[in-house]
Amino acid sequence: MKILAVCGFGVGSSMVLKMTLDKVVKELGIEATVENTDIATAKATDADVYFTSAELESDLEASTDKPVYAVKRYMDKNEVGARLKEYLATREEK
Amino acid sequence: MANTMFSENNIQVIEQAPNWPAAVKQASQPLIASGAITTQYIDNMIASVKQNGPYMVLADYFALMHARPGIGVNQMGMSLLVSRKPVDLAGKPVKIFLIMAAMDNTSHLKSLQKIMSVFMDEKAYQTVLAGHKQEIITLFKSMGVTQ
Repeated sequence: MKILAVCGFGVGSSMVLKMTLDKVVKELGIEATVENTDIATAKATDADVYFTSAELESDLEASTDKPVYAVKRYMDKNEVGARLKEYLATREEK
Repeated sequence: MANTMFSENNIQVIEQAPNWPAAVKQASQPLIASGAITTQYIDNMIASVKQNGPYMVLADYFALMHARPGIGVNQMGMSLLVSRKPVDLAGKPVKIFLIMAAMDNTSHLKSLQKIMSVFMDEKAYQTVLAGHKQEIITLFKSMGVTQ
């Protein structure tokens, strides 16, 4: 599974989100790689699921048919974990 | 490079900033003084919040302030301002203002990852929030982000 963490400039916030996602992925024991990038690059980069801020969510959704999840607090393991679990639940349904 | 990433001069603790733009300006002062950034970078950070909202607030009380890399930036730099009482930043309360100025999209990532590992450690985070400069410096030294 490939997870992409996305922010506006690709310099800071998305890397923090990636660090949180890395922790959550490890804790949940799932097989996934997490990368981070800016919004412009993300639109041209394929992934199984995208995580970004509420501000960028609709912009990103318009350019991919893969699921996009918005996270308010990039450093919050509980919030990021909850979003990731939501996504994992949709995969199990398929 | 790594040992100069966060000098003691770049750490400030105050009781409370009058408002968030003032906090961002004060937090940036050490980087202005060292010539790492120009006032243009400060203006761009403030403009980015006004345009995009408080997305730089990454956790309760924590803002990773930054703008587009390379514009108004002469040298990579980070500085920290802790306001013991929270300041409203576009609807979110903030006590920790971490200013990050990058030259490009990649060269600062190692330093940022290292400093963020401090803020993502719950115990260390509480120490910074408590707002005692000497304790923060001791913490940063023990975690290898200040020489």
